[in-house]
Amino acid sequence: MYQYEGEDVFVIDGHVHWWDASKENIKHEGGEQFIRCFYDYHTGFTPEERQWSLEEYRKYDKERMVRDVFGDGHADMGIFQPTYLNEFYKEGFNTIDRCAELAEEHPSRFIVNGRFDPREGEAGLRELERQKEEYDVDGVKVYTAEWRGDSKGWRLDSDEAFEYLEKCVELGIRNVHPHKGPTIRPLNRDAFDVADVDDAATSFPELNFVVEHVGLPRLDDFCWIAAQEPNVYGGLAVAAPLAKSRPRKFGEIMGELLYWLGEDRILFGSDYALWEPEWLIEAVMEAEMTPEQRDEYGVELDLEVKKKIMGENAARLYDIDIERQKEILRDDGVSEQFGLADQYGEGAAADD
Amino acid sequence: MSQHRPRRIDREAVRERLDRVTDPELDRSIVDLDYVEEIEIDGERVEVSLTLPTAWCSPAFAWMMVADARDALFAHPAIAEATVRLRDHMHADEINEGVNSDEPFESAFGDADGDIEEVRRTLDGKARLARQYRAVSTLLDGGLTSEQIVGLTRGDVAIGGDLATVRIDDTLSVCVEADPIRRYLEKATETGVVDAPDDGLFRTPEGGAIPLAEFETVHRRGRLARTNMSSQGHVCERLGDARIGGPTRVTTD
Repeated sequence: MYQYEGEDVFVIDGHVHWWDASKENIKHEGGEQFIRCFYDYHTGFTPEERQWSLEEYRKYDKERMVRDVFGDGHADMGIFQPTYLNEFYKEGFNTIDRCAELAEEHPSRFIVNGRFDPREGEAGLRELERQKEEYDVDGVKVYTAEWRGDSKGWRLDSDEAFEYLEKCVELGIRNVHPHKGPTIRPLNRDAFDVADVDDAATSFPELNFVVEHVGLPRLDDFCWIAAQEPNVYGGLAVAAPLAKSRPRKFGEIMGELLYWLGEDRILFGSDYALWEPEWLIEAVMEAEMTPEQRDEYGVELDLEVKKKIMGENAARLYDIDIERQKEILRDDGVSEQFGLADQYGEGAAADD
Repeated sequence: MSQHRPRRIDREAVRERLDRVTDPELDRSIVDLDYVEEIEIDGERVEVSLTLPTAWCSPAFAWMMVADARDALFAHPAIAEATVRLRDHMHADEINEGVNSDEPFESAFGDADGDIEEVRRTLDGKARLARQYRAVSTLLDGGLTSEQIVGLTRGDVAIGGDLATVRIDDTLSVCVEADPIRRYLEKATETGVVDAPDDGLFRTPEGGAIPLAEFETVHRRGRLARTNMSSQGHVCERLGDARIGGPTRVTTD
């Protein structure tokens, strides 16, 4: 557990992946370009001494992931957000079954989310039922710009998508994580446009919509929607590294998010293996708004707020009792392997 | 009206033309952003190569920049032939072929639906709003009240050199730094939002008059648009840096 100014900060990394972009798994040039684009994000933001080689980055083993996220990485728990990209990768990029394999070995550490794609029709609905049945998912990641045959994306406010959202309600899947990032294809019909979240959020008040990457590069559209829809949340994956590379800019982004959404609706995510949580969590915990920014936005980014962002908000969405969870983590395999048990002791602070 | 066409053109003139082209998402010049990779001049023929920060840049945005660059070059009287090539992009072939043979976007990309001009309007609207934020902040710093600001018309502003003079009423004018006001007016005029002298100077994101009660919200939305652009600009910059050193690099200057 991360310690900051003598206080415990329980960290739930809201966005982690266990992907396979090995050459053997690539079936379309888009798959190669996709991982290279990710790698540009990786090298563009990671401190030089912490950068991976492209080969390491394509495919990493379980041991490495567990060490990077929990052993060295300060995170206490991680939420898998699957991304299939079946048009690009033979066995998919980051599938629920692959993630679940790792989660089953460390059930106290990982939360597995499912995914759906409304273009899969009836079969997709059955698949969603299977995910609930087999993995008891509480959330789903949806990637609206995924290619499928001639289609280069879909919208969350379509009739087909609504059928799936109804299914989520029926199955008790409460958290929907739409990935909204940079525009790629389909061209002017912008599949990463955040506008479709608006109608979905209004129509399904019983669901929570965690917009990943806080809509960047449409932070403005995202905040305006979130300001009006109380069940819309922001996931910090991709915005978080700015805390290291451009702390002032990060302060501005946090100022906007805190102003428009408030401190209860922002969730930290490292986007592992895009970036390792270790340096990222340190950078976010160190981040401060300047006095001018505090005046300008009229909000605070203090330790209490950071604790919410780092774990408490995700715990609320995923029904995790943090105190109870600490007791569980104290005796689990990961604590044993990395000597973390003391961190979870009854109120005892770690020595370092 | 026949004019003497200058025979020769130099790199400086080409760069000056390209400087007028902006990345529509970031509202900054493609020259400032270092997207211009190579300029070749052969008599009256000019060929320019652009590289964007990532191969996954929106094809619609990439198309706009390539097309705008080509238009900007053609507008120079000394340039008879202009070719603009995008390098290292997911859809470089479609874009280069389409733009340089004057095809419309929709026919170069068969699966496009909707209207690329609509995308441009959306981005222009954000750029206008972000520029408005700076202009309004300048006036607030200059001592104007929100009530005075929402009451201003286009005709109340005169720009001379480094200063903009803003007329509050018959007896009172205020001078402020011209640049933020000038940049705002450029975009507001170009997008047809502010045109005639009696048009309201500042507008809501949707283009309407700003009710006084909404002044604060509109102003904060302008700040938000600006934060979004500058944050994305930083992301693009990092991606571009990574790419130049990374495996996707194809050319050197």
